[in-house]
Amino acid sequence: MSIKSKLLRMKNHLQVEDKIERPVEELKERIEVKKFDQGNGMETEFKEMGFEPFYFDGERSYRKRLLYPFDGERDRLLVDSFHRLKSFWEENDHDHPLSFRGKSLDRLLFFDTETTGLSTGAGNVIFLIGYARLTEEGIEVTQHLLESPSDEAAFLSGFLEDFAEDDYLVSYNGKSFDWPQVKSRHAFIRKQLPKLPSFGHIDLLHSARRLWKHELPSCRLSIVEEHKLHIYRKHDIPGSMAPILYFDYLHDKDPLHLKGVIDHNDQDVRSLVYLYEEIARKLFFSKEVRSSSMEHFYIGDWFEKLSMYEWAETHYKKAIECSTQSFSQGYFRLGLLYKKMGEKKKAIDNLETSIDKSAFPPVEAWIELSKYAEHDEKNVAKALTYAKEAYSLLKKANRVTEKKKIKQVEDLNNRLKRLEMKKAKQMGG
Amino acid sequence: MFGKKTLVELIEELRKDSQVTHWHEIPEENAKSVEMPADLDDKITNALKNRSISQLYTHQKSAYERVMAKDNVVAVTPTASGKTLCYNLPVLQRHMNNPEGRALYIFPTKALAQDQMAELNEIIDEMEVNINSYTYDGDTPANIRQVVRKAGHVVITNPDMLHAAILPHHTKWISLFENLETIVIDELHTYRGVFGSHVANVIRRLKRICAYYGSKPTFICTSATIANPEELASELIGEPVRLINNNGAPKGRKHFVFYNPPIVHKQLNIRKNGTKVVNELASRFLKEKIQTIVFARSRVRVEIILSHLQELVKNEINRQSIRGYRGGYLPKQRREIERSLRSGETIGVVSTNALELGVDIGQLQVCVMNGYPGSIASSWQQAGRAGRRQDESMVIMVANSSPLDQYLFQHPEYFFEGSPETARINKNNLIILVDHLKCAAYELPFHRGDTFDGEDVAEILEYLTDERVLHENNEQWFWMNDAFPAHNISLRSAAQENVVIIDQSVVENHRVIGEMDTFSAMTLLHDEAIYLHEGTQYQVEYLDWDEKKAFVREVDVEYFTDANLAVKLKVLEIDKQDDVGQYSIQYGDVMVTAMATIFKKIKLETFENIGSGPIHLPEQELHSNGLALTLSKDAFASEKEDHIEQVLMGMAHVLQHVSCVHVMCDRNDLHAVPEVKAIHSEQPTVFLYDRYPGGVGLSESVYGQINEIIKECLDFVWNCACEGGCPSCVGVASVDPEAEVKKWVLKILSQTVTYE
Repeated sequence: MSIKSKLLRMKNHLQVEDKIERPVEELKERIEVKKFDQGNGMETEFKEMGFEPFYFDGERSYRKRLLYPFDGERDRLLVDSFHRLKSFWEENDHDHPLSFRGKSLDRLLFFDTETTGLSTGAGNVIFLIGYARLTEEGIEVTQHLLESPSDEAAFLSGFLEDFAEDDYLVSYNGKSFDWPQVKSRHAFIRKQLPKLPSFGHIDLLHSARRLWKHELPSCRLSIVEEHKLHIYRKHDIPGSMAPILYFDYLHDKDPLHLKGVIDHNDQDVRSLVYLYEEIARKLFFSKEVRSSSMEHFYIGDWFEKLSMYEWAETHYKKAIECSTQSFSQGYFRLGLLYKKMGEKKKAIDNLETSIDKSAFPPVEAWIELSKYAEHDEKNVAKALTYAKEAYSLLKKANRVTEKKKIKQVEDLNNRLKRLEMKKAKQMGG
Repeated sequence: MFGKKTLVELIEELRKDSQVTHWHEIPEENAKSVEMPADLDDKITNALKNRSISQLYTHQKSAYERVMAKDNVVAVTPTASGKTLCYNLPVLQRHMNNPEGRALYIFPTKALAQDQMAELNEIIDEMEVNINSYTYDGDTPANIRQVVRKAGHVVITNPDMLHAAILPHHTKWISLFENLETIVIDELHTYRGVFGSHVANVIRRLKRICAYYGSKPTFICTSATIANPEELASELIGEPVRLINNNGAPKGRKHFVFYNPPIVHKQLNIRKNGTKVVNELASRFLKEKIQTIVFARSRVRVEIILSHLQELVKNEINRQSIRGYRGGYLPKQRREIERSLRSGETIGVVSTNALELGVDIGQLQVCVMNGYPGSIASSWQQAGRAGRRQDESMVIMVANSSPLDQYLFQHPEYFFEGSPETARINKNNLIILVDHLKCAAYELPFHRGDTFDGEDVAEILEYLTDERVLHENNEQWFWMNDAFPAHNISLRSAAQENVVIIDQSVVENHRVIGEMDTFSAMTLLHDEAIYLHEGTQYQVEYLDWDEKKAFVREVDVEYFTDANLAVKLKVLEIDKQDDVGQYSIQYGDVMVTAMATIFKKIKLETFENIGSGPIHLPEQELHSNGLALTLSKDAFASEKEDHIEQVLMGMAHVLQHVSCVHVMCDRNDLHAVPEVKAIHSEQPTVFLYDRYPGGVGLSESVYGQINEIIKECLDFVWNCACEGGCPSCVGVASVDPEAEVKKWVLKILSQTVTYE
């Protein structure tokens, strides 16, 4: 039996990956497939889409540069914000994850890739690299397209050539996906290409998650765009379709298959510019943008984790101020923050308020107050009362996870025991 | 009542037992030692001296010399012969010669890797040099992984990890692959059959990546005793190999006893149930707190024996002193059992062959085997569990009624003097090859004219291009698919998907207690099946076949279940054929359909049948290789189907057993099916086929030695002590004395032999 006929016979046992069914609508929209000869055949089509060929070591790659001029009130604000952000970073010596201190604005590279799969192994190829830069005139978008998998050196060299050592990457999930992928592809042709510089890198997915993961169904870029930047895409090709479209392009040799992916990527990198601005303003120029109470709260939480306490204080206060209901949790966190800042009086006030404001205040608020009464005020009776309040509250609470609750009950029991003993001692002595 | 008699006293007691049919004493043997190699670095010599090693055993030195001369080697080493120095020594010396050099150790399981790292690190600590050795497996934390990739001089891993995590991400391992000097493959003999065929392809991929990064490592393999270590090693690594077998390690005295349970039914030659005898024998030792291991062939047997033995300690606080160990337990549970065996907290363990491998469980004194483990090599591996070091030890093999066991007990010389079995792989099994070509293409593009370690694969690459998995451009094939191929390919099991076993005894806390391959699940996890796990009985309440989940609940019943599998066979294409005596034999492609039909409930104490029920599961299909022994209707006493069927079943029974011995495989890997009127020839036929898609070369190997195998079958049935056939020789079909199955099996077998 020939190998081929055996292969066909055993097809059931061979796991050939399922071909993904394309949505019907998309099929309708597909433009008639034209076949091209290899060679320079596709150059015309690529040029029509704005791409110019580019050669390296006998290989060819395509590159497109497009300027979106600044236009209108929205863009004037954008430029203004970035200039003020730049001065802000120069004046404030924060080690904040969003900082681009020491970089001029045109060094920021808003960066995204499209790949042939979601895995991060050696067989996953990047076929489109796009990035946006801020220039005097507008947002300049550059895209590199891999014409065929055998032109990878040209493709990556075009991208590396355009790069300066002091460029600063801004991406969305680039730290764990796009950049490791660039490194992996670079490893294949590391002998032909210069070394990959190590850039500074701001990953906006991390920031978006801090602010919005509690409120948005997911933190995918398209969802964040829609809810937070009010950018609504028309006829967008979802990123998950990108691999299939690239395979179709290779198979049919028709660059038009890629049009949707190219537009999608172009929009992605421009969105990152606006997204950075939006997040940074919410954090640092909070007076001029409207944020919700919960946004302020999670920004405060983030600042607190970064040990930037004054900033955290501002946002917690705003969170309380913007809240339409009495925001017990806000007072509670503000109380804890003041404790960290060494402002005991304010800490106690806020903890007490958090208890006043809610029928079910956080158990920890009572515990904190009990600690304060015991150690600072030396008022054992008061400490005991507070601890008992905490205990009865804890018994009612069923929101906490079992494990956490057990630990809390245990700790609280110890506290109660110790306080009872202290009290007995005081009475006796 | 515990702890009165010593092992020596118990050995003497056993000597008087009339059921002992053979007593083999293996005398102690002194060490054959030689001087340390002159070129060995002082740091290594001193480190070994501190561990009181001042000389080497002969085989250790030979291995060292060959490896340093850049030869690939395979060292055949029995248990506890100091095999680790065979590879650690050259690897350490190579590091002293070139500190940039790297080594990769491959162990079949995670547990072995952990053991070996500990041992290697002890020597390294003594040497006071900076050699980083790390294990890299599924448990390695993410932050450590990066360190291992960049700075691991010795990376210790398993084939699965190599296949799914290291090779597909080779760009993260550049410094390993650029500097790889040595690859160690321990427990070579485990790489046979399907698993071995997969691993051979993983090694083809590994070599391809090494070549890409410009390294050409030497291979060091170690193996238990098998007939063809050199052949297996060179098949597996695709390179010529030197054999090292001048073992110089000392051995303690060992008693190897064959114990045949008494006959309880003379006419049918039925013997007392082997499991019960094993229970009695093991109890004798365990009562005296002598550390004992019991090997059983199946998971079910393990659990049955375990529940009996645990009765011994039911009044003790520490019920953990006797435990089970088998596949299907979760890894964490296994590690815990291994620890408690080493510490001596556990005195008895009941295991399947999962413990055959070199997992370090310290030294046990007695080994009891419930039945012949299926191969000589496997028996010695299990026997090696008792008395790993230099003291006296005892191994008792208890025969089952199976033909294989009875054959062996008739011919102890076959066991003690015969050559061990041959281990085979078929790395060009089309399904396995295609799977790994996909992985290989994912890792690096293929150029036109490239081979896959010498194998021309252009035709398959073209097929994959047609399937739009690869893309051809500029004389190269590129991976063009959004899947990650290694994730869909398991090296271990034929079935791609496992059935997860979920215990729902506690309503609010369902938990996963184990998993099982789909083929086994058909007969072990069907609705109403009794599934035993760590001595606890569970009943399967619902098997969700589509979702591959079995929901079980704890029960306490007095029976276990045993399911029947109905199998049909179709010959697709005949590749080879030959005459055997008056008949003929064909080898080629077959299609097998299997369906679980009914199950029986069998009482635990008496093993009587107390009920049955249907199984409703879809048919499973399998394309494989097989052989057909085609007979003729005229050969039988009558043309009645009943008669022909019974005789064929008898033949299938004995053929399967003897064939499995000869090609060194489990009975589950090579199936036998009788058909009164085979579709392709319309004649009575016995089929033997590989139970893995595409075949792994077992039936082909049987085809090659069919005359010898039939002679053995004939000899065995002839010499069986029974009258008209018994479950040992011609199987259960012989219960009908009218059919005279034994007589007819003998007659037809004798017509099937070709005498030169």
